[in-house]
Amino acid sequence: MKLLFRESHEWAAIDGKIAKVGISDHAQKELGDLVFINLPEVGMTVSAGDVLCDVESVKAVSDLYAPVSGKVVKVNDELEGAPELINQDAMGSWICEIEVTDVPNDLMDEAAYNKFIKE
Amino acid sequence: MKLIFEISEQGKRCATLRTPEVNHTKVGKKFARTTKLELPEVSEVDFSRHYTALSRRAFGVDNGFYPLGSCTMKYNPKINEEVAALAGFTRIHPLQPENTVQGALEVMNTLSGYLAEITGMDAVTLQPNAGAHGEYTGLLLIAAYHASRKDFKRTKVIVPDSAHGTNPASAVMAGFEIINVPSDEQKGVDLEELKKVVGDDTAALMLTNPTTLGLFEKNIKQISKIIHDAGGLLYYDGANLNAVMGVVRPGDMGFDVVHLNLHKTFSTPHGGGGPGSGPVGCKSALAQFLPDPRVEKTDKGYKFVCSKKSIGKVASFYGNFGVYVRALTYIITLGAEGIKSAAQHAVLNANYLKANIEDLYPTEKGRHCMHEFVVSMQELKDKTGVSAMDIAKTMIDRGYHPPTMYFPLIIHEALMFEPTETETKQTLDEVITALREIYDEAFKDPEYMKAAPHHAQIGRPDEVKAARQPIVRYKK
Amino acid sequence: MSDYLSTTEKETSEMLKSIGVNSIDELFDDIPRDLKLKKLNLPQGKSQQETMEIMTALSKKNKVYDVILRGAGSYDHYIPSMVKNLASRSEFITAYTPYQAEMSQGILQAIFEYQSMICNLTGMDVSNASVYNGANAAAEAMLMSTDRTRKVFITFDNIRPDTLKVLNTYAHRRGITVCVLPSKEGVCDLKALKEHLDDTSAAVYIEQPNYFGLLEDAEKIGELAHEAKAKFVMGCNPIALAIVKSPAECGADIAVGDAQPLGLPMAFGGPYVGFMACTEKEMRKMPGRIVGETTDHDGNRAYVLTLQAREQHIRREKAFSNICSNQAYCALIASMYMAAMGPSGMEEVANACVSYAHYFADALASLGFALKYNGEFFHEFVTVSTIPAEKILKALDKEGILGGLKLSDNEILWCTTETLTKADIDRAVEVIRRVK
Repeated sequence: MKLLFRESHEWAAIDGKIAKVGISDHAQKELGDLVFINLPEVGMTVSAGDVLCDVESVKAVSDLYAPVSGKVVKVNDELEGAPELINQDAMGSWICEIEVTDVPNDLMDEAAYNKFIKE
Repeated sequence: MKLIFEISEQGKRCATLRTPEVNHTKVGKKFARTTKLELPEVSEVDFSRHYTALSRRAFGVDNGFYPLGSCTMKYNPKINEEVAALAGFTRIHPLQPENTVQGALEVMNTLSGYLAEITGMDAVTLQPNAGAHGEYTGLLLIAAYHASRKDFKRTKVIVPDSAHGTNPASAVMAGFEIINVPSDEQKGVDLEELKKVVGDDTAALMLTNPTTLGLFEKNIKQISKIIHDAGGLLYYDGANLNAVMGVVRPGDMGFDVVHLNLHKTFSTPHGGGGPGSGPVGCKSALAQFLPDPRVEKTDKGYKFVCSKKSIGKVASFYGNFGVYVRALTYIITLGAEGIKSAAQHAVLNANYLKANIEDLYPTEKGRHCMHEFVVSMQELKDKTGVSAMDIAKTMIDRGYHPPTMYFPLIIHEALMFEPTETETKQTLDEVITALREIYDEAFKDPEYMKAAPHHAQIGRPDEVKAARQPIVRYKK
Repeated sequence: MSDYLSTTEKETSEMLKSIGVNSIDELFDDIPRDLKLKKLNLPQGKSQQETMEIMTALSKKNKVYDVILRGAGSYDHYIPSMVKNLASRSEFITAYTPYQAEMSQGILQAIFEYQSMICNLTGMDVSNASVYNGANAAAEAMLMSTDRTRKVFITFDNIRPDTLKVLNTYAHRRGITVCVLPSKEGVCDLKALKEHLDDTSAAVYIEQPNYFGLLEDAEKIGELAHEAKAKFVMGCNPIALAIVKSPAECGADIAVGDAQPLGLPMAFGGPYVGFMACTEKEMRKMPGRIVGETTDHDGNRAYVLTLQAREQHIRREKAFSNICSNQAYCALIASMYMAAMGPSGMEEVANACVSYAHYFADALASLGFALKYNGEFFHEFVTVSTIPAEKILKALDKEGILGGLKLSDNEILWCTTETLTKADIDRAVEVIRRVK
């Protein structure tokens, strides 16, 4: 399994053909208390960098971007009624699974990402 | 306090009705309601006390200072309400024969004419029900105009980053794509950036002037030229017309379409969120596209007319007629001079407030503001941890309505003050003293301010909880 | 002239001095000089007394009828005194949108109560704080129910003409097709509906009762819509809902309508108030403000504007709707009306409406006026006669009676409400009898 990050703070945990996608702990802190997540539609095809879905806090909406290209094959329904799970454990709360067709080469590994957010 | 459902007792009655003297007809079983109608059952005393209690937990212009920027919370004259309640205005059916509603048509025609004069436009529709509805209507006019010229590639509407959220939302509803243009250092439209984004796909630029920062867009003539040279149209968001009415007209600034807010500029009440009214004016080239019907004066009296090229209807009947009656009453009372002096005093009051607090509440330097100004509390927050929100909530403890918070988005820790012309110098002086004291308090006891308000109806509500597990109705 | 300013000349000059300018004009220096206006071409201001006289004179140029037999989207109902009286409190009238919850609990609670009453009336789960009017509520429901693949909004030719016009305006620039199916015998043609429903259908919209006053087999229509995975949107007269099956009972996903009959005067068409309610599933797509219950930091019950991330001030160009100001004050009146009437009062009003309509229709039938449609009707119905509609309406007009709405040369759409008496109807019938 490979864990990669986008500059826009999404992560992808790639295991074979399937990537679990979520947002980083840093992103979770920046967004504040999440109150809702508009989960992506299963079956939707995305290219890396496309808007995947959005998350709502009380006074803001933020788009999440697809870190990899592919087809959304599963969404984490548990988040629908409990977006606070992302606040509690961002790295453990996957949003959807994407059947990967392409992994862009500008994604960062964890060490590089941690360095990136420090800067 | 209790909900009206919680004081309800089965069998209590408030309003009572005459028993019909004809045979009772029952609705057939196939159509009849089978579920119980769960409405409150209260006595007249319960009813009166309940709504009186609710009103005491509401805060209006009549309760006190209400400097809500961008909303023009001016005094709502009592005569307007009395006039609007006259039977000749309330007890008339919208589909009465035209010859029986000549007074109503005259109200509409006269008001349209006055608004055209005030905005420098050639034609006005009153139909839109609110400002955002007016924006949408105005953008449909622009779409119809370009389409009538077979200029179908104009799909984009340019919106400054300081714009009201309704601007981009309305443009998308009207089928346009949004191009955002940043502000320059003077907080006006960045002309160089504007030149980069205009082109043969530009349908229009939407602009608020004075801008949402309360500053007059000095480059308006250049902006108008850039947009018009590219074949686009200029749209005026009339939210801030109160600063300039009678002084300068959108039509003379180069705007082609304008919407107004009768509930801001023309003193009609906000009613806790509406009804408003968002008339739209336009230059003659767009008049044929205005919503149906419009009122025309003929030698045989007033009548409704329709245009083959109209965008259609945007609301049922003729819009918020009762609001027109109030706005017309206001304009008749003020007249040409009064309209201008209202704008002048709105600007005077804002500058007076600004001049006396800007050493503590920093705002755009070296310029006079128009009817409102935006301060940034970022520095205070950095020093004390007290935010714009904390200041707002402390104002509540002192019995003032806070200014608009966190808008426009380009100013950090923004507070937007719009005192309006109807506030007295005495009130402004009291507020100045209070704001200066509040500023000092931020250093003395920041924690107390962060927990404000302390003397309000409630403490700060848990908005996260409200949004995560929405409870949006009473359930037994 | 009265200008509502209260600054004396002395104060003005003190203020100017404090600002550091010599005149008010200096404050307008940012405005290019050549753009400034010399003088507005408007009449001179008037005293309050004169204004009152002018406006009263204008109001008297309108004819107020003693008896009203016309509806078609605007209904004359009795408005209880306590509604008028309590609604006129200036705290309600002069408040803005309750953005500051800590000093606006009264407005927020009033909206919460309105939402609750609309939910109970319609049977739906969630109501918003109101939209502009019934026609706009239908248009908002159309925008809510269409998506990328389903862009056909199906309705019938028996909905209110204004609703259809507004739907068409809103659909045009959004790539939505409003498909208007013909009615049969005045009601929705189920066969035509079945034939037209497919995987492009976003929703089916009907009105209950429809424009001709007829009650629709809404449950069946809802079933057909759902079979095609389309949404079912019902436009309802709120008075009728007191005794007619609620949208929830009919399987509606979204219920809309104009709440004008609930305590708002006809007022030449406005301000009225559009209500919108939906199932919980559709809640996050609902436009407009919604008030929710929560607690403050001491655990006290509190009300706030909630689910705001749906709205334009946050979502901007991605918002589902641009609505900002709504018709809150009218919604307050509607909720006061429902509270003043209570369930039994509401039922009495509805029953009076339908009973007078049938009494009147029978009387007209005895004069040789045929009912155009056979279906069951609520408080409106269409008659066909050999005597020209124009003649009948003129004769009634002379007697201070506003007759029904002329639909064609010999068809009239009549309406009755509880404001009428048997004597009023008998008098109207007598006038009509004499028309030759």
